[in-house]
Amino acid sequence: MNRWADGKACQLHYPLYIGLTWDDYDISPVQDLASQVQSLLRAENDLSLYDFYIIADTTTAETSQRAKLSGPGAGGELGEYRGHALSVNVITDPSTKSTSASLRTWRPVLDVRHNPERSVDSATLAPFIASEIRKIYEHENDAISHLLRDTPFTTSGQVEALSPEVKSSLDARRTRAFKYAATYHLTFSLFTSSASPSAWEAEQALEDSIRPLLDRFSSISEFTVDTQVQLLASFSPSIAGPQYDESTREWKLQRTDLSGFVNAAEWPLNPGIGSGPTINFVLFVPSEDQSPLVLAETGGNSWLIPQWGGVQILNPSGKQSEKLSAADLRPVMLTFADQLSALLGLPDSPASPSLRISSLVRERATSLVLSASSTLGALARLSLKLTSIAIPDSVAKSVDETILRLDQACHDLRDGRYHRALENARTAEGEAEQAFFEPSMVGQVYFPEEHKVAVYVPLLGPMAVPLVMAALKEFRKLRATKAKVA
Amino acid sequence: MKTLNSVWAFLALASIACAAHTSNWAVLVSTSRFWFNYRHLANTLSLYRTVKRLGIPDSQILLLLPDDMACNPRNAFSGTVYSNADRRMDLYGENVEVDYRGYEVTVENFIRLLTDRWEEGVPASKRLQTDEGSNILIYMTGHGGSEFLKFQDSEEISSWDLADAFSQMREKKRYNEMLFMIDTCQANTLYRQFYAPGVIATGSSEEDESSYSHHADNDVGVAVIDRWTYYVLEFLETQVTGPTSDKTLGDLFDSYDVGKIHSNPGVRWDLFPGGEQAGRSRRVVDFFGNVQNVEVQGNQTGVESLKEDLQGLKRLVQDYQAFAAAQESNKTEMSDVVQRRNLEAVSSGKIRQKQRHTVGKLQLSENAQWARQVAGATVLSGLAALWYFAPKLM
Repeated sequence: MNRWADGKACQLHYPLYIGLTWDDYDISPVQDLASQVQSLLRAENDLSLYDFYIIADTTTAETSQRAKLSGPGAGGELGEYRGHALSVNVITDPSTKSTSASLRTWRPVLDVRHNPERSVDSATLAPFIASEIRKIYEHENDAISHLLRDTPFTTSGQVEALSPEVKSSLDARRTRAFKYAATYHLTFSLFTSSASPSAWEAEQALEDSIRPLLDRFSSISEFTVDTQVQLLASFSPSIAGPQYDESTREWKLQRTDLSGFVNAAEWPLNPGIGSGPTINFVLFVPSEDQSPLVLAETGGNSWLIPQWGGVQILNPSGKQSEKLSAADLRPVMLTFADQLSALLGLPDSPASPSLRISSLVRERATSLVLSASSTLGALARLSLKLTSIAIPDSVAKSVDETILRLDQACHDLRDGRYHRALENARTAEGEAEQAFFEPSMVGQVYFPEEHKVAVYVPLLGPMAVPLVMAALKEFRKLRATKAKVA
Repeated sequence: MKTLNSVWAFLALASIACAAHTSNWAVLVSTSRFWFNYRHLANTLSLYRTVKRLGIPDSQILLLLPDDMACNPRNAFSGTVYSNADRRMDLYGENVEVDYRGYEVTVENFIRLLTDRWEEGVPASKRLQTDEGSNILIYMTGHGGSEFLKFQDSEEISSWDLADAFSQMREKKRYNEMLFMIDTCQANTLYRQFYAPGVIATGSSEEDESSYSHHADNDVGVAVIDRWTYYVLEFLETQVTGPTSDKTLGDLFDSYDVGKIHSNPGVRWDLFPGGEQAGRSRRVVDFFGNVQNVEVQGNQTGVESLKEDLQGLKRLVQDYQAFAAAQESNKTEMSDVVQRRNLEAVSSGKIRQKQRHTVGKLQLSENAQWARQVAGATVLSGLAALWYFAPKLM
């Protein structure tokens, strides 16, 4: 257990398999290019957590067949996702002025446009690709090394200092996002200050906007969704409330009011739904006489509360109906989706969401391994320090299971199987928590010696004194008879 | 997305204080039963009202009251609890959420609450679900002595138990900083044995000193508040007026007046990182109020890109996920993924997934019951026969 707590049991290293394709070329120049890029990436030491493997692919019948499997419209696209973290697709385009790269939005493919006619380009192609790949993984490397910074898992090669802006944005992300959990409960609430609107087409709107996001995250966690409507919701008395601004004819909400805006005493936002954390999304519709309601400093209408959820204000438009339609709710749900990605800890770069998800998978797997290891260490220290606690068998079994899963997670991380590593790390964390928070391990009340004397002497004393006196008498009688006989 | 998050990062940077805690919790414990200990419950309830006024929601307050003064048959003003003879503010009538009441307030439950060692099925409202960024306020009141505190007139908790519980919390990183306040006789002895770092402790009286009540209400018939708590509340009500107040713990502890309190309150700083200097500069609302660093969203560019993103995603997401799963593991697992997708598609009519576990009902099979009845009747008739025939045999 201490090996894990001290970080000696696993060297955290992430292999990244990157496929490289180059249309119209045979395999050997592509392989040359691949090995050049790989050696360039390995030579630079700044992304020290990663091992890059650049694998050359060419168009063959089998690759285009696999490409068909991955989705419609994939016929002509090469180097598609096939277990690679990223695919680099070099396209010969005589019309480009200089080599350029663009990352596709929803597939992990980097398109590099390259003009081979210009001789200067062919020499710089490999360094260009290497620098693009480095740019993509830079932020994740920073995030993971920041995560490992003060833990025993850092190795000596990773102690590069991060710049303060990067550090503060990483810290902000960490305080904003929820801790990892296998299940999250999302609640969407509509609070209206007056009696209308009294209903909303939440199901349809959620299906349109939030469900795709949840599907994308489903490989990492599960989600349950609940909605509610509350009418005549009033503000908490501790905040100042909206102020009318004559110049813009709007009601303004000050920044200091934002933290107390969610009236925790009156509004029914009970977080106790299930075993995972609850993420609350609140849509507030002010009454006619207090609208339009905006935020004083930005004029916007939404904000995010770290580790709690998000709040948005929807100002009632002229045609006020009783039910908010799905069309009305579409921009609202998009903002909520944006807030949800931030609350789940999705990093902000690289530009492609699919790369961000895989980066999140790696980060979460790492943080779970770290937390399970530190729990093991805490349990070891605890069992040594508090000797009066009895440790049952189930704890031993859980610890065994944790160590087994941590080993498997470490192997999976080394092999590049990140989803499986996340599962194993999640199980390890669950077992470690179960071992530490074993309900029968409550320390017994401390009994100092004086207490023991004070309790037992009055109990046993009156019983013991006649026995002792009788024993002494018998002993004296025995000695007297022996003396008489002798 | 990048500019949006840099805006957020800037605002977060501007608003995070040096304490860097992310949530606030309060554990308010009264440990006395019986009508004449009315003042201990009034103490606890007044702290509860203060903490709520300064913004901590009920879900983050754990209130432990061992007795019910409001509905006690001796209460002339039933349904109310007052902490002042002028009876201006009822502490109990509205909007009170008591998490542990009556006989649930025991030493074992309290230690379990602190160390979070519960059986399955204990609801979240009874648990202290803190993490490494939480600041905790713990307030205890009742009858105590040298290094112990009496619970419910039948058991006691010692300062060693508390010290060990806090060290377990520290091991598991369950708090960022803790403020421990205690109002009993010889209160300062109770925090003497603490050794976990990050705790500031304050008590109402030294060893061999008693803590006194402040005044009694002639119509209620008992003392309604204790002195130390009364003066602490006076400071909190007059000086700490809102969740953004700047008053520090140094100000609070400097307001202690031995002449008014009639005992020597104490403060323990040595466990706090930075010692007395750092501790004195902590704000009162860092423990009594609720931190909520909100992040205001400025521009809408992030949302636009998300819209296009979501539209494209709806077409591609399912094949993408299934392919990823197939690539990383065997084919057998992919069929599981596909099956799960199908199940989700079927149940997506209702978005909500039910995750309730039904409580297992005790199943008594008919046969076992019948057999037991027969066996019981046999034994009874055997004994009756013995009783009847034994004198005849003798």
